[in-house]
Amino acid sequence: MSENLSLVVHGPGDIKLEKRPIPEPCPGEVLLKIHSVGICGSDVHYWQHGRIGDFIVKKPMVLGHEAAGTVHKLGEGVEHLKVGDRVSIEPGVPRENCEFSKIGRYNLSPTIFFCATPPDDGTLCRYYVHNASYCFKLPECVSYEEGAMIEPLSVGIHACRRGGVHMGQKVLIFGAGTIGLMNLLVAKSMGASPIVVVDMVQERLDMAKCMGASCVCKMEKNTCPREMASKVKTALCGMPDVTIECTGAEQCVQSGIYATKSGGVLVLIGLGNTNTTAPLIAVTTRELDVRGIFRYCNTWPTAINMLASQMVDVKPMITHRFPLDQAIEAFELVKKGTALKVIVQCEEPEKKEDPQANALEQCQQQCQQLLQQCQQQCQQMQKDQKEHCGRIGGGRS
Amino acid sequence: MSQGVSRPTNVVTVEKRPIPEPGQNEVLLQMNAVGICGSDVHYWQHGKLGDFLMRKPMVLGHEGSGTVVKVGAGVQHLKAGDRVAIEPAYPLHNDDFCKSGRYNLSPRMFCCATPPYDGHLCRYYAHNANYCFKLPECVSSEEGAFIEPLSVAIHACRRGRVKLGSKVLICGAGPIGLLNLLVAKATGAAQVVICDLSSSRLEKAKEVGADFTILVTKETPQELAQEVEKVLGCMPDSTIECTGAEFCVHTGIYSTLSGGTVLLVGHGPALVSVPLLNAAIREVDIRGMFRYCNTYPMAIAMLASKKVDVKPLITHRFPLDQAVEAFETTKKRLGIKVMLKCD
Repeated sequence: MSENLSLVVHGPGDIKLEKRPIPEPCPGEVLLKIHSVGICGSDVHYWQHGRIGDFIVKKPMVLGHEAAGTVHKLGEGVEHLKVGDRVSIEPGVPRENCEFSKIGRYNLSPTIFFCATPPDDGTLCRYYVHNASYCFKLPECVSYEEGAMIEPLSVGIHACRRGGVHMGQKVLIFGAGTIGLMNLLVAKSMGASPIVVVDMVQERLDMAKCMGASCVCKMEKNTCPREMASKVKTALCGMPDVTIECTGAEQCVQSGIYATKSGGVLVLIGLGNTNTTAPLIAVTTRELDVRGIFRYCNTWPTAINMLASQMVDVKPMITHRFPLDQAIEAFELVKKGTALKVIVQCEEPEKKEDPQANALEQCQQQCQQLLQQCQQQCQQMQKDQKEHCGRIGGGRS
Repeated sequence: MSQGVSRPTNVVTVEKRPIPEPGQNEVLLQMNAVGICGSDVHYWQHGKLGDFLMRKPMVLGHEGSGTVVKVGAGVQHLKAGDRVAIEPAYPLHNDDFCKSGRYNLSPRMFCCATPPYDGHLCRYYAHNANYCFKLPECVSSEEGAFIEPLSVAIHACRRGRVKLGSKVLICGAGPIGLLNLLVAKATGAAQVVICDLSSSRLEKAKEVGADFTILVTKETPQELAQEVEKVLGCMPDSTIECTGAEFCVHTGIYSTLSGGTVLLVGHGPALVSVPLLNAAIREVDIRGMFRYCNTYPMAIAMLASKKVDVKPLITHRFPLDQAVEAFETTKKRLGIKVMLKCD
């Protein structure tokens, strides 16, 4: 039985690579050979703090929830997938057919399973079992890495849907990390224009510009929210219809409230403190609609279509790759905050070719062949001589 | 003619002013009934409300109905003798908000009794004819005056997504809370629970149709939310927050079902502490509302069909020349709606 190397968090500050058994798929499930897994800020948070809000790591848990892999084994009753199919994994799987599920908002189901949210294990391992209905086949033209990016892309799709983003709207995005950039790509493909992206880090703003932001604005730690709103209005030649807040920072939430056009929508993706100080009176008197999002629902088929038709290109966001056995270094890098998206490659490596050994082997083989040829020729010559001596008669030896 | 006028020095007086002439597209009305609103009292006490500051004496009152006495040039849908309800706020420019049907968000609006514009707590008043709505015989002048606060409730229930089968929490059992209760029930809400600090207000709420009432004492917002769930048997899909108090905003958020809506009617301070995280991760939408738009025809229809009965909410009546006393009564929060008879 080969090992199932997995990256496991035990408590705050404590992650280890461990060997775990390879699971068996139950009815309705598939066993996957995981190929690519993206590291999310939440994975790093569980590592550093052992919890996010009320989700607390009470027993060792495998991290990772942004994954794609290959179907390795089918559980009973699985018909839409076969062994060898390349799939992207939707990590949130409702456990019961509750009222939220029935109305199509299964992401709000209180008992939902979710990879790498305690107590549910994630996908940073070699072999992983998942509900087959939440594994989506990837077309040939969509790579495993893109398949792993579907999870953060889904956050963008769900946020833009909740925000009602559509053609011709002006959009403001706070935060130019992976989530902000995904929202930028989705908003753009929905026809929004112009789109302004705000961040504190110049490199991130440069990336946003490369990825299609109409304009960018730098925010400082001491930029007053009303001033930020004014800067945005200038940049967009008007107030945004939709603001997508990806940072969780109070300064950005306040700025978003002041900036958004009357009757518009402020989407909250970033998670901040339990309580936020905000000018709610402005929400009231200008009829703003403040809508949070919780993960996503019904986004995978859309995301696959978008990637397959090349409406969005997520590949530039992948800045670093590590094999699974170097996952801890990968996490250290993400923690630093300088990388954009770091992918962990989880397939067991094949034996590597040693060029020197190959050359030696080849040489040996050639020598072997030459030796055989020589021996054959010698034998033939001896045979010929015997015959010749026999014909002359007598024979001097 | 006499009018109730507020001066910036916290004085409200009854004065005589000239009878206006109706301009192009205006009608001159003989005022019949005008209700007093908390905002009128606020201008009287503080001379300002939010960013609106009184710089000169201003006639109060924006919840009125009257009878057409004279029509201005271009007015075709009204004639002398018609009784109308007055929609007090209308846009001054046909901007994008107007064109898309949300004229209440237009930045420059005329609004009765909002500085610098006069209201209609007077005997004669001229108004834009497009914002005067004819009342059928079966709708009284007092009911007509009630259409303004009723419109707040109609707009709130729309924005708050109250519909058939909804479970609704209303924070505050003052006139606005009670009107929201009436509209929610008329809209088909299955059950409405209303909370307040005052047991007498909650009694009134029960009288006019609240399924459940909760008297708020020393609970935390989370505890009150649990009580709401217990009493209703489930979490409400919509919460209509009518107080502006931070405590109630917290309660509304904690109480509301995931995927539901908290609708902010009440006005609070410039900055408040809000559990936005709780709302965000449960996809509870927090929506604001400003006055109303496109509500008058619906309000008239509902009153005419008797599907909504606002008469029990009128608790005090005064003639116009006792307006000051009427204001004192409102300020003391006695009763629900104080109505002034202006004819």
